[in-house]
Order: sequence, then structure tokens, then C-alpha cells
Amino acid sequence: MTDHSLVATELSAGYDGKEILKGLDLTIPSGRITVIVGANACGKSTFLRTLSRLLTPTKGHVLLDGTSIHRTPARQLARTLGLLPQAPIAPEGITVADLVSRGRHPHKSLFSRWTRKDDEAVDGALAATKTFDLAERPVDELSGGQRQRVWIAMALAQETEILLLDEPTTFLDINHQIEVLDLLTDLNRERGTTVVMVLHDLNLAARYADDLVAMAGGKIHAFGTPEEVLTEDMVREVFGLESRIIEDPLSGRPMMLPIGRHRMAGIGASL
Amino acid sequence: MNMSSPTIDLLAVNRRRKARRHSIALALLLALVVVLFGFTLSVGQSVIAPLDVLRVLSGEPIPGTSFTVGQLRLPRAVLSILSGLCFGLGGVAFQVMLRNPLASPDIIGITSGAGAAAVFAIVVLQMSGPMVSLLAVGAGLGVAVLVYGLSFRNGVGGTRLILVGIGVSAMLQSVIAYILSTAPSWSLQEAMRWLTGSVNGAQLQQALPLLLALAVFGGVLLSRTRDLEALRLGDDTASALGVRVSQTRMLVIVSAVGMIAAATAVTGPIAFVAFLAGPIAARIVRSNGSLLLPAALVGAILVLLGDYVGQVLLPSRYPVGVITGALGAPYLIFLIVRVNRTGGSL
Repeated sequence: MTDHSLVATELSAGYDGKEILKGLDLTIPSGRITVIVGANACGKSTFLRTLSRLLTPTKGHVLLDGTSIHRTPARQLARTLGLLPQAPIAPEGITVADLVSRGRHPHKSLFSRWTRKDDEAVDGALAATKTFDLAERPVDELSGGQRQRVWIAMALAQETEILLLDEPTTFLDINHQIEVLDLLTDLNRERGTTVVMVLHDLNLAARYADDLVAMAGGKIHAFGTPEEVLTEDMVREVFGLESRIIEDPLSGRPMMLPIGRHRMAGIGASL
Repeated sequence: MNMSSPTIDLLAVNRRRKARRHSIALALLLALVVVLFGFTLSVGQSVIAPLDVLRVLSGEPIPGTSFTVGQLRLPRAVLSILSGLCFGLGGVAFQVMLRNPLASPDIIGITSGAGAAAVFAIVVLQMSGPMVSLLAVGAGLGVAVLVYGLSFRNGVGGTRLILVGIGVSAMLQSVIAYILSTAPSWSLQEAMRWLTGSVNGAQLQQALPLLLALAVFGGVLLSRTRDLEALRLGDDTASALGVRVSQTRMLVIVSAVGMIAAATAVTGPIAFVAFLAGPIAARIVRSNGSLLLPAALVGAILVLLGDYVGQVLLPSRYPVGVITGALGAPYLIFLIVRVNRTGGSL
């Protein structure tokens, strides 16, 4: 697998003339899992949309291997950079195999036929996400967790070396959240895919990230290993919340315990 | 990786089976068009033997029969098929692109726009013939641009476009009603013909603009089949798959409106054909492949059948638009109830 560099330089973007990203700089580490966290409306989804060209920046650039993604032909870009949006739509009655096959779209031109290689890619994606047994089932009959695995399978069939995901665990039960995050980690370890995702849950973010990005006010507030980024100061500055950081006994990663006004017997008078 | 080859074979087998089902559905629809075409040529107020029909079609003059088949029935059937193809293909392109069966051009005001312009041209400007058609085509495109522009906010949302379209359509309907209420009786008849949609008085040379529209706009739409299929997954996903969403949208809108407007200019707005063809095709094809060609064929079947029912089967003669309208309206109600309940898409 070749290394690709994905770099945002002085990136500004927004909607309706309202600027949400305010001159953001970040180099996405290649071959690693980068997780973006931050409060609502801090611009994390906007950042992901701009990274994947769904949104055109008002200032600055997103450079893939040194070339602005807004100058790269759409199809060519889609062979390197994949995105799973927050609310993808499954057409009524479409089967899993059909949906996953759609991932081959950027590899096909108007007259090119379906090849063995396409079948292999779809098969590999179904196997990796353990959805092969669902292949002929309609997507609308699946559970939330199964459906999310199918969408990830579609992104895998696209065979991109960089995969961006916008809150892939939202609306999922906790067991399915873990399943999806484990799957993305497998993907990163086995295929070397660079994974960039937005997550809501700070503790899951710290557990699964190689690098953690905390965003605030449309800028990068902190970037580094989970140990460097997930600190009591960061949580206070980004979320306006007092907290304790302890070590997650299972993963050894930092874990955030929020401090509220009630049920705080454990810290007694020390507050 | 060699281990997985039986599963790959299974995938390939299933894929081929679906492709085969799609081809079979297409072949059956095509066969139905051909059968209906032959049937309407031979069985009408009088019955003409199929062999005689073939002889007339091959250019052999048969007294009486040549006129009935060659001058009356043939142009009717040919225009029914061509306009049906245009309505069906244009309609389904809109529905697929906006992921909503309500997004067909006859619901979102494009047809009303063409109708209002035609009525205005006939009644107020006292025009007739090709100029009316030209104006109608222009107005159809104009309304499409207007509806698109009014519903633009960070890209065009499907639902917003439909609601704006229904509003614009209502406004245009009141314009039509106003003009009709002031119209002198002699132009009223001509104007009404424009509003109901019929293949009465069809002439073979009218087929030419329709063939042209099918070749140019239909070609563009069919070349975008894959992109349209990707758009069914949502704009964001389509974009992530390498589809240039806004560019595809513009192309599809211009082509679909072009086809609908060309057909409307020849036959008038044959009610609900554009709206019905897609969903019917979806029932037939299921999820076995693209809806574009099947819906085009369903459109042709609807117009052929509707015209035949209106001309031959009912006690007095009705234009085809009355028949398809009577068919389409209940379906529209059903769809609105169902979409409200399930948020269903095409």
C-alpha cells in the first residue's frame, strides 16, 4: 500500500456565507487512525465534508499528495479517498450485494464491463465486514448495526487508501458501536487504510485513536496521542466541563469521568 | 485469498441472475409495446386482418384499408409510443434523481408551465402551430430553472424542490384558469386541446421532433445511468463515489425537461404518464437494475393503452389524457398517503 498525504492548509469553509472552519491546519497521519472530537457546532463535520470535497473551502486548500482535491477529477479522487457520510440512503428493496457493488462506481467508466476484479473487491468487502451471509437480503430489513457494516463494506469495495467516516457509531447500540470500531481497526491494521473519523464519545475516541484531534471554534485545539490530547484542561476548554482523567484499565488509554453537580460522593469535599 | 473463490463465484452467479432478470423484464415490456402497436393498428372501430396491416406497412396500397391504417391509426400509434417514451424516461429521470416519486415533471409544475405558455400564446397572442409549441418548450425549461433556483440552498434538497414545484404549479394553474375564463370560444377549443393531451389528428411528420428529442436527450440520460443509480444513495454518497452531483443534476434536468417539453409540444401534457411510468417500472424491475429504459417502455404502453381505451372501448371518444388522468389521480393520493407514512423513496 502506498502512502498518501492528506493535508489541510489554512482551511476556511462554511455555509450561507457563515464561516465555520476558521483557518485550520492539519496533516492527517498516513496509515493511522485519526479521530476528531469536539463540542457540537465546533466544525468537525464541516471539516470532514471539506476534506472529502463535499464542501468547497472559501480559503485555503485540501492537498492530496500535494494536489488540491478540488482540482483532481472526481472519479480519480474517489479511487483514493472514500467517505461514509452520516446519513447515507439505501434505495427501497436494494440487496446488500447490490449496495456494496455500488462502491465500484469510481472504478467503472461508461462502457467498461463488470470484471472478476470487481467481484473480488465486493467479496473481500463482504468478508471483511462479515456480511457475506446477508448478501442477498434487502438492506431495509437489517438491524442498525448490520446496516452500518454494509455501508462500511460499500466504502471498502471502493478500495480507497484513505477512508473518512462521519460519526459511524451514531444511533448504534453500544455492542454495535464496539463492533464497528473494531472492524475499522482491523481494516487499518490489515489493509493499512488511513482512517479519519468523527466520534461523539470521548472515551471510545481515546481508546481507538492512534491520533486524537480536538476541535473548538472551527480550529484545531489540540492534536497528538490520546494521552497528550485527552486532558482535564482540554475537556474544560473544549466542552466547558470539569472532569477527571483516569487510565482505562482495559486499554491503558486515558478515560474521562465527567464531574456533575450530583452523585459525586467519590470526590467528597475536594471539590 | 484463493480460499474465497467459491464465494466470489456465488456473487457472480447472483449478479448474472439479476442482470438476466432485468433483460427479461425489458424484453417483455418491449414485446408488449410491439403487440399493442400491432393490435391498435388492426383492431379499432373496424377490424383489419394482421396480414393486411403488414401489407399496408410495407407500402402496398389497399383501397380503404390504406387510409384507415396508414393515415389514421399508424400516426396515432407511432406518436403514442414516441411521446410515451419521452414522458416515461423524462419522468423517471426526475424521480430517480430527486429520490422521490412525487418529483415528476407533471407534479412540480413543468407541465403546467408549458400548458400556461401555450394557452397564453393561443388565447392572448392568437398564435398557432409550431410557435405555440416552441413557446411551451421554452416555458417548461423556464419553470424548471425557476423551481430549481427557488429551492436552492446549499445545493438542492429533493423535498424542498417538490414543495416549491407544487406551489409554482398551483400558481400556473390559476393563470391557466384566468386566461381560459377570458378566452373567446373559438380559441377555447384549441386551448383545451393543449391542456388535456391527446394524439387526435396525429400526423407522421410530428414524429420527427420526438425522435430527435429521444436521440439527443434520451442519449444523454442513458449515458448517465450509472451516475443516476449512484445518486439514489444520497448526494453525499454519490459525491464520495466520484459523481459530480451538480453537473449531473443540471444535465439530467435539461435533458428530462427537453424530452417532456418536446412531447408536450406535440401531444399536450398527457396526464400523469411521466408520474406513473417510474413507479410501475419499479414494481416490474424490482431491484434488478436501472429503471430508465423500463420506465420509458411503460410510458409508451400507458399512452398506447390509454388512447385505445379512450377511442375504442368507451361509449364515446375521450382524449388519452382523460384516461391516464383518471388512472393517475388515485395513485397520486395513494402515494402521498404512503410517502407520509414511510418516507418511502423510489
